Amino acid sequence: MFRKVLIANRGEIALRILRACRTLGVEAVVAYSEADRESLPVGLADEAICIGPSDAQRSYLSAPAVISAALVTGCDAIHPGYGFLSEDEGFAEVVAAHDLTFIGPPANVLERFASKAGTRQLLGAHGLPTIPGSDGMLRDDQHALAEAERIGYPVLVKPSAGGGGKGMRMVRTPRELESVLKVCRSEAKAAFGDDSLYLEKWLDENRHVEVQVAVDRYGHGVHLGERDCSVQRRHQKILEESPTPALSESARAELAERAVRAVVAAGYENVGTLEFLVDGRGDFYFIEINCRIQVEHPVTEAVTSLDLVAMQMRIAAGEPLGINQADIDFDGHAIEFRINAEDPAHDFRPGAGTVERYLAPGGPGVRMDSHLYTGYEVPPFYDSLLGKLIVWGPDRATAIARGRVALEELVIDGITTNVEIHQALLASETFLDGRMTTNLLDRVGSAAFLAAAARV
Amino acid sequence: MPEQKSRDARHDRDDVERSTDHAAIDRLTAELLPALIAKLGATGLGELEVREGGWRVRLRRPGGPGPARDRRAADRAERPTERGHQARSRGDHHDESRSAVRADPKNVATSPAVGVFQPRKDLTAGSRVRAGDRLGAVDMLGVAQEVVAPIDGVVGTSLVEAGDAVEYGQELITIEFGVPMSTNGTGNA
Repeated sequence: MFRKVLIANRGEIALRILRACRTLGVEAVVAYSEADRESLPVGLADEAICIGPSDAQRSYLSAPAVISAALVTGCDAIHPGYGFLSEDEGFAEVVAAHDLTFIGPPANVLERFASKAGTRQLLGAHGLPTIPGSDGMLRDDQHALAEAERIGYPVLVKPSAGGGGKGMRMVRTPRELESVLKVCRSEAKAAFGDDSLYLEKWLDENRHVEVQVAVDRYGHGVHLGERDCSVQRRHQKILEESPTPALSESARAELAERAVRAVVAAGYENVGTLEFLVDGRGDFYFIEINCRIQVEHPVTEAVTSLDLVAMQMRIAAGEPLGINQADIDFDGHAIEFRINAEDPAHDFRPGAGTVERYLAPGGPGVRMDSHLYTGYEVPPFYDSLLGKLIVWGPDRATAIARGRVALEELVIDGITTNVEIHQALLASETFLDGRMTTNLLDRVGSAAFLAAAARV
Repeated sequence: MPEQKSRDARHDRDDVERSTDHAAIDRLTAELLPALIAKLGATGLGELEVREGGWRVRLRRPGGPGPARDRRAADRAERPTERGHQARSRGDHHDESRSAVRADPKNVATSPAVGVFQPRKDLTAGSRVRAGDRLGAVDMLGVAQEVVAPIDGVVGTSLVEAGDAVEYGQELITIEFGVPMSTNGTGNA
């Protein structure tokens, strides 16, 4: 195991990693930007080091600053968290070149899974069904039109790099396709530095189900079940749960087993997530892999009682997994609510400001992962995630009931949050019946959703 | 809105091209450069050139070959933790940021980066400097980031020692106003 880990992230995930380090008896240094000087992870850390100004490009995204901080504080590993440098194979390579360990897949593994199209091909070859799509990257507009014709409209235009819905458009006609290609290219170029695009068949009423895997350096892998992330707003996940209400127990087991078999065969290492679309018939299609710890990992922790961040560190340190599939028990139902500084009344406009009062909910099966405290000033420079409320119950109905109580108890004064949308979800029949699809919030409109909940 | 209507297709294309250019430049400076600098620091190369689309970036290492310098920084890592940024250790962190004992921030040269500090050898307390003069450098992965005097004045106290690990924004050297008092009457400090 490592002696000392540099935590190169902020907010709730920095705190989560700090806790994992302490649990393992590993020293930790929190690297922070000037804007996060008064943040909770910095305040709680035994050691913290300022790596740059508030601009993430010069702090959390600066490979030289992060690595230099690790070297001068005597760390032997860097945990990148999620976002920022977490899936950057170039960064992982330079980290290794400085005799430090990147806590995540090694650079060569990240590189193998860097291209979404390449990964679909690779895992397709190892037995995972993939969505019908273009043959490789789109060479030009003519190629795009020909491929769309072959696949059949509607199609989704997607950038090879990145995520979060940037550079992504659904089109129903050749005319629409022609008009969005340039925009998608420039969006993808700006966001990811890579303007290559590909096409995918658009599946209308689909669900997003992802499988959590863990694979050690010796090719031994297990799956930790799946998470349903169908509640999305503009391709951003809002609420995640496990198990998925969309599939039968045997279908879930089959999906997870095929996922872990394919990813082990393809040479993956460390914890990772394979994302699938599940259509109305229950058929599933592999879409992409996330080579990092994910925001929604606590859902899996709640139903498996495993510590995924500790697991990630052990694997990176070269330890064998030490558990077999049969050792993993799946117990009960968990739901995570992402609490964001967003205003549902104003198209989810992100906000910032001072938290005048913060009270975390509690009780059986309730976990709050948040970096908030009363008096904390939420800086405007980063993402809007304020924390994650995770509830567990022996069954879905109990988890939902605990979720209602916990959301009611949660107090965040001074900042507008999206708590309302979660309360609306827990009042919606579609959600209660487990029938959410990824496009529902956008199709119905979040405002209509909130209004409907208010009438109940 | 009416402006938008009067635009012809050519303008739209220019805008797209311009924004693509801007995006490319932003990315080069913000994203690619730090990665390249790190890469250059990691390798023993003296120069690195990358071509991408219509763009070309060439980096040349200032001074001698890098890995040796990197190693030294790593070797020092044990020692500097005992001092330097240790000010941020548990307990004094919040006190420190709130305390009023800091010098006027305008009169202190601060660190431009996280790394290892080396003062300019020819400077001692009492040396006269002008705003912008180089006082030393912080070595960040083999690349020297200049520490400069924030104001005209005289080098005062060194708050860290040569070879110390320093963090971004850390106070390094105070600059005092002109001594002796009799030589100029503008003692506005």
